[in-house]
Amino acid sequence: MIFLEQVIAILWKDVRYELRSKQMWTGMGLFALLVLVIFNFAFDLRVDNKAAVAPGALWVAFVFASLLGLGRTIAAEREIGSMDRLLLCPVDRKAIYLAKLLGNMLFIGVVEIVALPIFAALFNVPLFVGALLPIVLLSTLGIAAVGTLFSAMAAATRARELLLPILVFPLIVPIVIGAVRATGTLLAPAVNEPPWLGLIAAFDVIFLTVSMLTFEYVIEE
Amino acid sequence: MALANRDTQTERQYSTIGTAGQNTRPPIASLALLTLTFIGMMTSIFMIFLYVPTDAIEGIPQRIFYFHVPIAWIGMLAFGVVTVAGIGYLWKKDERWDWAARASAELGAVFITLALITGSIWGKTTWGTWWTWDARLTTTLILWFIYIGYLMLRSYMGRTHESARSGAVLAIIGLIDVPIIYESVNWWRTLHPQAEVGTPGALPPSVVLTLMISLVTFTLFYSFLMIQLYQLQRMQTLAQRLRASVE
Amino acid sequence: MQEVSYLVAAYAVVWLGLFAYLAFVVLRIRGVRTELAAVEELVREHNEKQDQHG
Repeated sequence: MIFLEQVIAILWKDVRYELRSKQMWTGMGLFALLVLVIFNFAFDLRVDNKAAVAPGALWVAFVFASLLGLGRTIAAEREIGSMDRLLLCPVDRKAIYLAKLLGNMLFIGVVEIVALPIFAALFNVPLFVGALLPIVLLSTLGIAAVGTLFSAMAAATRARELLLPILVFPLIVPIVIGAVRATGTLLAPAVNEPPWLGLIAAFDVIFLTVSMLTFEYVIEE
Repeated sequence: MALANRDTQTERQYSTIGTAGQNTRPPIASLALLTLTFIGMMTSIFMIFLYVPTDAIEGIPQRIFYFHVPIAWIGMLAFGVVTVAGIGYLWKKDERWDWAARASAELGAVFITLALITGSIWGKTTWGTWWTWDARLTTTLILWFIYIGYLMLRSYMGRTHESARSGAVLAIIGLIDVPIIYESVNWWRTLHPQAEVGTPGALPPSVVLTLMISLVTFTLFYSFLMIQLYQLQRMQTLAQRLRASVE
Repeated sequence: MQEVSYLVAAYAVVWLGLFAYLAFVVLRIRGVRTELAAVEELVREHNEKQDQHG
């Protein structure tokens, strides 16, 4: 089986599995919305403040929801033991990583698609500008690239829900800064803004590569 | 003082865990490093308080610089050592690399903690605030979190091969990420220029000399502690393995 | 001379911190040495028992 076929096969298996248990999706979505609502109370959203606070609120919601989703997938696999059986097959470990990554991105992406319009409504901001899609896509890729690798690491420990955010948050700081600033520039265009999207893209390339190459060391027993 | 040296009889049975040092050899390297550290520290204190002129702009508190900067540098060097040791372990699969990694991680966390505290105090004297989100302090804080994450991960996963491998991967990712984090915080800050901790401009030779002496002193101390912690890791592994063999 | 007190505080933190840590390390080394001695005793007894029954 060539590499791409392996990726798609594993991805399809995961998607089918997750489609059966809908609780994670609804859980993540509700969580994202709750964070947005809480932000409304946490920050005094008079009109002039909104553009400043809205991007931050959005990305806090996305990051936290992503971490919820990341933790679940690999932990579930270890619990039912399917990971061990998968490792027995002569599957390229990089294919496993890519499949997990794409699966995570799909789940997080669905939550983002649902949360965005509601976010735009709650904060009353015009969000569906053209450049939003690349920002969200590339940022999610960055978070998922690092997160997939570390969820495999943390899955072996008992305190995985606690450990995963502790490991991932510091490392995705460039993404968070870039995403919030880039989204902010969308809402309130500024001059002399650094190339945030470029930063996020560079981050993605680097850490996608490194994570893919080091995944095998993390997943083997 | 309980300095570490190589001295247990059972080691002969566990050849990977220690060379055949069944006699109690005096810890020459440790004692030498400790003595040199002491000399260096005395020299540094003399130079910092009596030799170097008072800074024109910041005054007396600027002398914190001579401790703060070397400590911060050692904290970062230690992380490099963790990464190199981790890569060594992944490549050679020899657990001694991992002992070095764990030792340096613990040391680095301590040094970075001290760097943060001294940096905060220094910031208070220069800018009146205990904290400022400038690129250097922020990146040091993030590095602190990465260290803590590493130590927590190793603690939860125990003394297994998976633990060592995961630690190595975390260190590699962290090492690559830290410069990126620094740059992104820099970009972020150009939009909100705020207080910055640091001594700008070119430094006069007396300052550089004092800084170097201080740096050498702390490096010696780091090396001394590394040896102690490495031996500690070795003995803990040995004890755990022996205990497992009889239970 | 409030400035001097900050300077002193910073140096005190470093000195105390490093000394405390050094003490912590020394204590742990002593502790593991004791444990190693105890475990080696266990191993010796265990081997003796093996020889007897073996």
